[in-house]
Amino acid sequence: MSGTVAFIHRHKRASFTVWFMDWNNPVIHVISLFVAITVAFTVVMLIVAYTVLAERRILALIQGRLGPNRVGYGGMLQPFADLLKFILKEDIVPDKSTRFVYFLAPIVATVAALMTIIVYPFGPDVTLPFIGTIKLVVTQLDVGLLYVLGVTSVGVYGIALAGWSSNNKYSLMGGLRAASQLISYELSLGLSLIGVILLSGTLDLTKIVEQQSDWHGFKWNILPQFVGFIVYLISAIAETNRVPFDLPEAETELVAGFHTEYSAMKFALFFMAEYVNMFTVSMLATTLFLGGWNVPFLDMVLTPGTLLFGVISFLGFLVKVIFFLFLYIWLRGTLPRFRFDQLMNFGWKFLLPLAILNIVVTATIVFFFS
Amino acid sequence: MLAILFFLFGGLAIGCAISMVAQRNPLYSAISLIGVFISLASLYVMLAAPFIAAVQIIVYAGAIMVLVVFVIMLLNVEEEERRRLRLGFLIPTAIALAVVLISEAAFIFYFVGAAPSPQDPSTSDVGLTGSIGTGLFTKYLLPFEITSVLLLMAIVGAMTLARRATLFSPTARVVPGAMSLPKHLVDTTAASDATEVRAESSVEAARVLGVDESRIVKDGE
Repeated sequence: MSGTVAFIHRHKRASFTVWFMDWNNPVIHVISLFVAITVAFTVVMLIVAYTVLAERRILALIQGRLGPNRVGYGGMLQPFADLLKFILKEDIVPDKSTRFVYFLAPIVATVAALMTIIVYPFGPDVTLPFIGTIKLVVTQLDVGLLYVLGVTSVGVYGIALAGWSSNNKYSLMGGLRAASQLISYELSLGLSLIGVILLSGTLDLTKIVEQQSDWHGFKWNILPQFVGFIVYLISAIAETNRVPFDLPEAETELVAGFHTEYSAMKFALFFMAEYVNMFTVSMLATTLFLGGWNVPFLDMVLTPGTLLFGVISFLGFLVKVIFFLFLYIWLRGTLPRFRFDQLMNFGWKFLLPLAILNIVVTATIVFFFS
Repeated sequence: MLAILFFLFGGLAIGCAISMVAQRNPLYSAISLIGVFISLASLYVMLAAPFIAAVQIIVYAGAIMVLVVFVIMLLNVEEEERRRLRLGFLIPTAIALAVVLISEAAFIFYFVGAAPSPQDPSTSDVGLTGSIGTGLFTKYLLPFEITSVLLLMAIVGAMTLARRATLFSPTARVVPGAMSLPKHLVDTTAASDATEVRAESSVEAARVLGVDESRIVKDGE
């Protein structure tokens, strides 16, 4: 038993807290971990809340409207007004629903969406005076990438079970569509990342980011892995049920799909899970393909390890993530929805072979040239 | 600390396993089984095998159980009725076998506890991704390849069992969703947006659509 304690601790040094603390003290250890998780959670939730607002404003701009601009300056307090409204709404449970599963589904969706946040490196190591070195990542896992894929794949249950337990035809159709869509696109999503793994030789997200830090942006994986990047981007949109792949909640056919029968806070949980998923797939794209927190030419100006370097790197990371979020919103304002057979054909007959071809070519090149 | 977690996840695994067997609703059984897999993955992490834990989640909880849940939802399997016990003699047999199993487990636990610990898990890298990959592709290459051939055989076998008596010709095309429509609705002359059925013969086209042969548009008409 003591041996496993040591193993767990080896990974625990990586967190927002300081190096010189006694890591063998389990109390300090757990507290520091909770602090790290809370900070990461707060940052992500704030960004997610403002993504919703940004989406409404940008969609309005695309469609020649104004969007929500009354609460606070330019609608800046709209997310909090929405949250208050979600809490105060009546929580309706359908009479013929399967109670336990009906309550379980939104919890599964949200927990699975939020759990992946802990492995993403938000920034480089920062050395602070009097405190020591801080790592801007909650935990560094040897299998970080697999952890992300695994937890994401569990998120399917939230949607599928919600559709089944509502005892509503539209919900069931939405749930089934979501399940089949997620299974299909999970394959090309996973395979599109193998090229990056072959190049970097590790599944540890922190190490993958560190490997991309040389050459001022020309070592980012998007250059050698452009095909993988495109396949990942498309699959990720399908995985998060966004336009043009939003068939599970196609309102013209299915009312609202799997969350038709959900109201108040339970609906808010699904809503939140969708946007957190958007955020995490954007973070994964940034981490794997766009160099994570690396800002080109920054190390020529500032010394790595200083506070300013850390802050600018973190902002660089955020800018890249926000670019992907904007891309999502932009697509939603631009593209119509696929038909279901088109969706399946595209996933299985185009993306999957392309991803496999990418793996074969990458593996051949890696084998002969390195 | 770790002991608490061990008992938490171990207890969760056992509780979910009992629930899986005891539940009458097949979907509840499936959810319990997912609980078992996740608890087991947590135990693997505590045993310094993060790769096995991640793969356990991805393969079992993320892929296989999704298919199981999908099938249960699609077929809408009803709750099991409580029936009169027909195979009553199995109960004493099960108890006897359980006693044997528990005594075996106790035996193993006793000797594992008595023997000195061979290696400190914190210093070994057995559970890490790199060492598992190296092992699979060097020392254990033959079992690895045989297993993959076995899986391929299973896929081919499933395809053979699931496909119909004859394969359709590659030119045969089906209206999306037509198989689930009532037969009188599938009239290719009336539905303007239906995909044209191109087949080698009208008999084959009728079989593809599942309609009466007289409803098929003949070539040249």
